[in-house]
Amino acid sequence: MFEIEIGDEGRVVCTGRLDAAQCEKAQEFMDTLAEANTLDFASLEYISSAGLGVLLKTQKRLAETGAGLKIINVNNHIRDVFRYSGFNAIFDIEASGG
Amino acid sequence: MTSPEHKKFVRSYDSLREIFDFTEAFFEAENIAESTRYPVHFALEELFTNMVKYNPGNNHDIQLDIERGESDVTVTITDFDVDAFDVTTNRKVDTESPLADRPVGGLGLHLIRHMVDTLNYNYADRQSRITFTKGFE
Repeated sequence: MFEIEIGDEGRVVCTGRLDAAQCEKAQEFMDTLAEANTLDFASLEYISSAGLGVLLKTQKRLAETGAGLKIINVNNHIRDVFRYSGFNAIFDIEASGG
Repeated sequence: MTSPEHKKFVRSYDSLREIFDFTEAFFEAENIAESTRYPVHFALEELFTNMVKYNPGNNHDIQLDIERGESDVTVTITDFDVDAFDVTTNRKVDTESPLADRPVGGLGLHLIRHMVDTLNYNYADRQSRITFTKGFE
């Protein structure tokens, strides 16, 4: 299961598992974002390399207008995936629990 | 102990949910911790979806074998009637370029190497067999 929606304070809330079968759904939503946004990953359990592609494609598009994505409440596993991918240098990332 | 377990899955991204359900049931039965489950799922998805992506016309299902050892989990994924593709070959991966130059995609095998302990490839009789292990932390 994967859900993506606008939550409190205008954040983009991602829930569940973002795997290759869910990337089309995620990309369709991300393509509607037109300005800087915060993604709340507090309820995102899992992301695969296909999900990373959705994030990177969106970040590159937003950067063309000087905007970007901030990703908050990232769990330890996803934080490791970001680190191995070199995403720490191209996204503003905050781990869960401060 | 319930291991080893094996099952074949239809060559489709839509099989991922069934694969994760299968492995989760195994992990529960074997009392395997979350710290092991995530990297196993990650590697399994990457290897399975590569097989789907690069051999879309193949009508054979893809076989998954999973087994618990004393200190690790061993997963084997077998693809039938395919050309060889050695996933252990080192490929150049860009994780340092500025955003504008960063390619989308191509990170999967690089990430697997960070997340599992061993990764082996065997090709014989037009069968690709990939085996990886992940130790308990």
